[in-house]
Amino acid sequence: MKKYERITALIMALGGLWIVYYAWDTLKIGSIHVPDAGFLPFLCGTGLVMLGIAWFLALQWRKERQTEASREKRLWHRPLLSLVLMVLYGLAMEAVGYVTSTLIFMVAWEKIIEREKWIKTLIISLLGTLAMYALFVYFLKVPIPQELFLR
Amino acid sequence: MDIFSGLFNGFAIALTGTNILFAFLGAMIGTAIGVLPGLGPAATIALLLPITYVIGSPVTAIIMMAGIYYGSMYGGSTTSILLNLPGEAASVVTCIDGYQMARKGRAGAALGIAAIGSFVAGTIAVIGLTFFAPPLAEFALDFGPPEYFALTTLGLLLAVTLSGGSIIKGLIVLVFGLLFAMVGLDPISGKIRFTFGSVGLQGGFDFVTMAMGVFGLGEILYNLESTAKTEIVTTKIGKVFPTLKDWADSKWAIFRGSIIGFFIGVIPGGGSVISSLTSYAIERKYSKHPEGFGQGAIEGVAGPESANNAASSSSFIPLLTLGIPGNAAIAMIFAALMIQGITPGPFLVAEHPDVFWGVIASMYIGNVMLLILNLPMVGLWVQMLRVPYSILAPVIVLFTTIGVYSVQNQVFDIYSMLFFAALGYGMRKLDFDPAPLPLAFVLGPMVERSLRQSLLISGGDLTIFVSRPISGTLVAVFVLLIVGQTAFVIRKRLRKP
Repeated sequence: MKKYERITALIMALGGLWIVYYAWDTLKIGSIHVPDAGFLPFLCGTGLVMLGIAWFLALQWRKERQTEASREKRLWHRPLLSLVLMVLYGLAMEAVGYVTSTLIFMVAWEKIIEREKWIKTLIISLLGTLAMYALFVYFLKVPIPQELFLR
Repeated sequence: MDIFSGLFNGFAIALTGTNILFAFLGAMIGTAIGVLPGLGPAATIALLLPITYVIGSPVTAIIMMAGIYYGSMYGGSTTSILLNLPGEAASVVTCIDGYQMARKGRAGAALGIAAIGSFVAGTIAVIGLTFFAPPLAEFALDFGPPEYFALTTLGLLLAVTLSGGSIIKGLIVLVFGLLFAMVGLDPISGKIRFTFGSVGLQGGFDFVTMAMGVFGLGEILYNLESTAKTEIVTTKIGKVFPTLKDWADSKWAIFRGSIIGFFIGVIPGGGSVISSLTSYAIERKYSKHPEGFGQGAIEGVAGPESANNAASSSSFIPLLTLGIPGNAAIAMIFAALMIQGITPGPFLVAEHPDVFWGVIASMYIGNVMLLILNLPMVGLWVQMLRVPYSILAPVIVLFTTIGVYSVQNQVFDIYSMLFFAALGYGMRKLDFDPAPLPLAFVLGPMVERSLRQSLLISGGDLTIFVSRPISGTLVAVFVLLIVGQTAFVIRKRLRKP
């Protein structure tokens, strides 16, 4: 955990340096009398550099704590897979339409993330899609991407 | 319009059929999410923000959002008492004595006193809100750019220092919030900032997208990692109305909790968590039987539950009078007001008295609704925990996706939300509290505008922030805070062996 935190702290300090450069060079910070668009970004970038370094140094002194959450077995691949599914869902929504993409997404979620049986997967997927359609399209009148076969 | 006629008009608005229905909906959703662990009020209000576009009336939309917020405080105690599982952060301390009471067969009394204490405290805080908010709004009319800069900066720093987590991490989140708020067109110079050539980013990030990503999906992603299973509820609840002895033991705890919660809730960053912790510490310290705390003392439930409810109501004061949201959930309500074309702040009471008084009046009604919802129906809420996460998680994902799409009908917003979801997940993994992010995001434009305007007015003279009485006082508070915090950290370090 500490290793990842150290890397993040360094990335943060470097990101801050880039913001300082971007604010100075591209946005222009102006002067204290007439501050320009880069004035606050410059201050924020400077702050980020200092905070990144402070965090890095604090990690050197701090002892690693074993919290209850860190002892629990955690499945990191599930959030990663679900993020990929969500990106694909966004892509599919415009390509094949809202209802079709939602149904496919629900089936994929229940099978890949939750590892449910087919009967349960189909029931949850159909009901979930129907409920969202009823709420957003029927009641709230939200315009949704049209189905491919209806275009 | 004086306070009483304003409140009278507020009741006339809040008691219309539609507003009663939405207050009830808000109270019900709030109780439900308070019961469900892993989905807090900020996340839920974020998830429901797109719906405010569809609800035509701003008063109705805000009445519902407010109901969700204070309703979640009622619901949060249920799982703390019955399962030793806090439904949301403010109820963590209720677990200590509430769960012990449940183990001794007194779950009903604990739930009853929590609901009644919440009702009393909520009502006391709304009375305070009714009488404190209008004069504060009038006072704030004198604020200029230096005062707003000092106030917003102080509010943000208080939110970080009082959150209880790492100050360095809190400040990093705050800086990120400010930077995200700067993406897009600079309103003063017209320059485009941080868009990396993307047309979609030229209008800046949308608050709904950010909030739904960090709080809604971010939380779902983090919970997906967990392998812990919720136990099936078997606790017998019993009679929910407290006995006369319970009353005698807890009446002063409820009163003290209400007052503590009210004042802590007004401070930006104060909120429900700190107020419940403070109330518990005070009850234990001044109790005639401190040894009973941790063993099922009813004051340990009554005090904190009253305090967190009072704080949730009084945190509306800085929002409605100064336009400063004090915590993440209130920042969501700030955004809901902006979506409706209403700028919260000192002009709200004069320009939109219907919203100001309508929302306040609805809180009186909402508190009565919550008492009815929480006392006789407590068993029903507990059954909600049986809904498996395998159904809840994808439904929330679908809800957020179509919700965020509906704001501008563009898929780009879905990708923005996924970016923030990944950020929210990363923050939880690295133990960052995401609460300062929405605060800095909504206050960012005000911070930048007031800073640049102040420097333009003074010709670059930084003493403008200390030479004016109000901003000078705020800066002094800020300096005292920094000095106090540093001294506290040094003392703590020196005391360590």
